Parts: sequence; structure tokens; C-alpha cells
Amino acid sequence: MQAARAAKRSGAPRFEEHLLEAFSNADGPSGWEAPVRALIVSAVRDNVDSLEVDAMGNLVARIDPSGGRSRRGAPHVMLCAHMDEVGFMVTAVEKDGRLRFRRVGGIDPRILLGQVFRIGQNGARGVVGALPAHLLTNNDMNKVTPIEELFLDIGAASRDEALQAISIGDLVAFDTTYESAGRVRKGKAFDDRVGCAVLASLVQKRPPVPVTAVWTVQEEIGTRGAAAAARRVAPDLAIILEGTASGESPGASPEEQQPRMGGGPTITIQDRSLMADARLIDLLAKTAKRRKIPTQWKRPGVGGTDAGRIALSGAGVPAAVVSVACRYIHAPAAYLDIRDPQRVVELVWHALESLRKEWP
Amino acid sequence: MGQLEWSTDEWLRHLTALPGVAGYEHVSVPEFEKVFGLFADKVERDKMGNVLAWIHGTGPEPRPRALLAAHLDRIGFLVSRVEPGGYLRVVSVGGFDQRTLPGKEVVIHSKPPMNAIFGTKPPHLQKKGEAERVIPLEDLYLDTGQPESVVRRRVPVGTMVMLRQPPVGLLKSRLASPGMDNRSGVAVLVRTLQALRERRPAWDVIAVGTVEEEDGQICVGARTSAEGLKPEIGIAIDVSHGDMPGTREGDTVPLGGGPSLCMGANIHAAVFDGLRSAARAIGLPFSVEVTPANSGTDAMDIQIASLGVATAVLGIPCRYMHTGVEVVEPRDVDRCATLLAHYLASLEPEWRATEVLK
Repeated sequence: MQAARAAKRSGAPRFEEHLLEAFSNADGPSGWEAPVRALIVSAVRDNVDSLEVDAMGNLVARIDPSGGRSRRGAPHVMLCAHMDEVGFMVTAVEKDGRLRFRRVGGIDPRILLGQVFRIGQNGARGVVGALPAHLLTNNDMNKVTPIEELFLDIGAASRDEALQAISIGDLVAFDTTYESAGRVRKGKAFDDRVGCAVLASLVQKRPPVPVTAVWTVQEEIGTRGAAAAARRVAPDLAIILEGTASGESPGASPEEQQPRMGGGPTITIQDRSLMADARLIDLLAKTAKRRKIPTQWKRPGVGGTDAGRIALSGAGVPAAVVSVACRYIHAPAAYLDIRDPQRVVELVWHALESLRKEWP
Repeated sequence: MGQLEWSTDEWLRHLTALPGVAGYEHVSVPEFEKVFGLFADKVERDKMGNVLAWIHGTGPEPRPRALLAAHLDRIGFLVSRVEPGGYLRVVSVGGFDQRTLPGKEVVIHSKPPMNAIFGTKPPHLQKKGEAERVIPLEDLYLDTGQPESVVRRRVPVGTMVMLRQPPVGLLKSRLASPGMDNRSGVAVLVRTLQALRERRPAWDVIAVGTVEEEDGQICVGARTSAEGLKPEIGIAIDVSHGDMPGTREGDTVPLGGGPSLCMGANIHAAVFDGLRSAARAIGLPFSVEVTPANSGTDAMDIQIASLGVATAVLGIPCRYMHTGVEVVEPRDVDRCATLLAHYLASLEPEWRATEVLK
């Protein structure tokens, strides 16, 4: 509530938590973002000047201060968040009814045993079973089972039974439900549904500079949607909104603990895909200082985002990444601190105001 | 009304939701007493916390007793340490398969309860080769997301922790849930009591929800309740490994194939024969499971209680035992109860396990 009041004073839009909840509960592994896109469309269509879905499935919305006529001199900003999440795809059904599956995106095979999954669009559930310890040798107990040897059990006893409930090619998502406890929110796919919700919240108000908001596809399998989207938008600069990995864990060194959940917007200097634009970083940092928004730096050298792709598109696009630090991304259930996305909304909004005045 | 008409699916969902790792069954004992009380003539709690539900027989007194045992406790964890940052370390009660824990949600049974996650490191931050190593339980930690001060105030060492996974319906009405071991056995007791009300045996039947089966060498509740009751016959009802890919034939019994009748040192031949004849008489499918030495069930301790008890084990086929997705088919639960009721009702009033030869 406090954050919301502050936002009202500052003129920035309010972070719409109900959107985060709806987006997180929806399933959209890479290549199958349609259910998430539909939710975003209904959340933003009344507030934007134009709205398109491109050939890859990216959702592109334009909105500018004057309602269609760009103000001379103001930079055209691309704001971007990816709709897809990591998940799995059903690749085969065995005679005895179990499903083989493969990863879509980066997932640690150790989080799969004993987990429940949603399969396809018809509400089928499946479990990844583990052979009981009682039937294993000690040696097997200390071995990680490769994903190729795991299977989904949907209760079917034959291939025909299984195929009545699911199809080969069905996408598979973690069966997790959004929840609140104090400031903590728990849910799946905060990478990057929190970015999607931040972006959908930002366009609830007419921004101070021309903005093209893009919700991209296929980030988790190689930032593929952003490649096409950046060429279409051809922005003057880009800010990518992400849910990034918090470094916190017991016993980790202070350097590794960064960034922290609840520590405010996380700004990227450098990762495996990007050297963030120094002028943009400077502008974000100054804006945060002026607005008294706490910020933190992302640990350099890890991860990669759509920003890397966008920065190299066309003749080059100055790009930066502002993230919400989440614990346990790419796992069944992640955490975030609900103050962080509100602060990202404020930081980006005020950065847009600064850009209007200061960008060369 | 209500519970009296519940389906087995409803019973399984209800019973698997009740907390109670070994040694902490008391938190749910009032509910178990209530449930057994719907159908039993009398319900008692003994000093170990076992819940005894009586069906009085119709034979002349003193009537022989048949004890049915299903353990109330389930596997879980206890908080062993609160660390800087508010992270929690746990020890296991009973053998949760540590390979299945990273990323799982849990409930910490503090007052009020708190939810948490077994923390994992995302692939982005892992060192090369890290994902090929199983994380032992002592290296796993729980994260509530709450400030350390809150955690320290609300979660004392020793607090019970359970996996938090609501039951999931699969095809063929199969149900996946933590705690099927052995709440599906408790469901068999409920169903059997219900059937015996309509069909009174000559013997006294005492259905016992036993405590502390999972936590060590001795099935504590089974041993003590059998010592107290001195039954002629004792039948343990517990989960058996259901068929799973990657297991050899003979190690498992088919899911949906009806009860498994165990054979081995814990099993008295006459009780085994009686159960098998009863199954055949009513055309009920069953499988035979071989447990040559110790059966790993309450029967081990019932057998050596008092002056010795004629014991048997009835198994409910269950896949993925000791994980959060133990899968049971409700109709197997029903068949176990049908078989038990039929067998118990056919017991002759004068049958005794001790044979007098001269």
C-alpha cells in the first residue's frame, strides 16, 4: 500500500499485482505462448494506440504521449519482456502409457523427480515418478537420473488410453499456483511473467516518450522472438524487463549473494549476452537516486536476455536490463518481494521522463 | 450424512491431508478418532497414542480378537537448525527419497503454519558439472522467504515439516499424493469398519491406527497395541510397491490388480490361506507378493508381541513410494476392505492359532 501511495504521488503507474498472478498461473513454454499472450492482450488493449501479433507470435503495442504523433526529438523506446517460460514437451508415448518428454529451456534435471506437471491445454496432470529407494542399490541412490530416462505417468495403462487425454507435442508446465505470504509472492515462471506484468502496468498510463511495448516469444531457447521484434520496432533504445536469479543461498559468499530479493530493481552492467549501454545505466542510476528508489547490480557474467539480441539488431540499439530479483527461477516455485516490481515500474517510468529531457 | 457416504477417493484426499510424521501423530489423532467413530462400536486411545476402533463380535465370550493395523504416521522432516538469513535445515523422519526433494514445496507445522521451498540453485548460477551430483539432505535447505527474525520467532527446532502437494487425480481414477503410505491403509480400515457394521463377525475386530511405524527398527505402535490387545490374528495393511517401469517382475504388484497377499516369514500360513480362499470365494482379484524375511510392516512387531500372533500382510499397490507422488488406485483400497470384511466374517468362533497336539 505504501508503495502504491508513493507511486500515486510520483505520477508513475501502479504495479498491477493481479496481472502477475494471472500471468504466472497461465502456462506458456517457449513456442506456446498463446495463453499468456491472450491475457496480456485483454489487459492492455484499451490503453494502447496499436496492437499487433507478428509472424513469430510477439505481441507489439505502440503508445506515445500525443496518441499517435511522435513528439519531435523524443527517443523512441522499446520496452520488452518475454512471455515464454521453461518447460517440457511430450515427445513420445510408450506402449505401457507413459510419456517421454524433453526440456524446453534450461532446467536442472534434479528438480523433476516426484514433481507434478500440467500437460497440454485440457487439464491433464502427470507425475514424474522415482523408483523407490527400497528397490534401488545405494549406487543408484547417489546418481542423477538423466532426463532421457525419466517419464511422465498420467495414470494411463496403455498408449491408447494416454492418447485420449494428451497428444504428442503437448507442452508441459509446472503445476504451481500463485500465493502470497507477507511481502513474498510464490509462483512459477516469474522469469519473465513479472516483466510481462511490469510492462502491462507501465502502459496503463500514457508514457512521456513514444514507447513500443513488446512481449516476446522464445527467449528461453535463444532469445529468438526478440530478433524479429527488434527489427520491426527499430527503436532508438531499449529497456528489457526481466525476472532474474537472486544469488542468495545459505553459506554463499557476500559477492555471490547479489542480487537480493527485496533489494529493489536489479540493473545489469554486463552478462553473457550484453554490455549494457553505459549512458543508459547512468541515467537509470541517477533517476533511482533522485527518486530514492533502492537499486542493486546484477552479478556480472551470468545469464543472458533479449537485450543481447536487441542491442545487436539493425545498426545497433543502446540497451539496458532492469530486473526483479527472484529466488528459484527455472524451478517449480519461485519467490519475489512484491515491493520490487512496483519499484521497477517507478524506476522505468521516471527514466522515461528523464529520457525525454536528456537523451542525445 | 456427509462422511458416511464419502467415496474412497474422498476418503483418500481427506486422510492424506492430515499431518503427522512419526512421533507427531497426536496432531491428527482427534480426527482419526472421529473418523473411526463413524463406524466403530467403541474408539479408544492407548497411552502410546494408538487409536483403537472396536467392532464387537457376535460369538460367545471370551471372544478371540483380530487386530487390523494400519500405521497413522507418515514420513517427513523435523527442523534441526535455523541459519543466518532464516534458512532452515531439516532431518528426515522415515526415509524420504532425497533425490526427489529439490524445488519441492513444504508446510512447516509452526503456529501458525508457514510454507517454504526446498531451495535450488538456478542453472545460470551453477558451476560446471554441479547438476550431475545428487544433493544430500544435509546440504538441502528450506526457504520461507520471510525475514530471519520472523522465522526464529515462529519455528523452533523440532518443528514438524511435511511435503506440500495436494492430491492429483490421474487417469483411471488413480490418485497421486504424498502420504498414501499409509493413509491408504487407514482408508482400508475405515472401509472395513463400515462393512463390518453390516456384517458382524463372530470375533471381536479391533482396527488400530498405529503410531511410529516409519521411524526406526521397531514398529512402536504395532508392538505396543498388540501387546495390549493380545489378538489371535493380526493383519497389517500397508502399501506394496506397484508396478513401475525399470523394476523386475516379482519386485512389484500391478496397480489396479487388487490386494497383494504377502508370503514370507512374517506370515502365518493359515491366515494367508484364509485370505486367499476368501478372495477366491468372492472372485476378487489379488496378487501374491513375496517378502521372504521381514516384511517391513507392522506385522513384524505384531507377530512377536504377547505370546506370538498369527499375522498376515495385506498390501495396497502403490507406485513411487516415499516420494510426494505416491500413486494408488482407489478401487484397490475398496478391494482390500471387501476382502478383509469377508475373511473376518467367516472366522470360526473356536479357531485358535495355537495347536494343542496332545
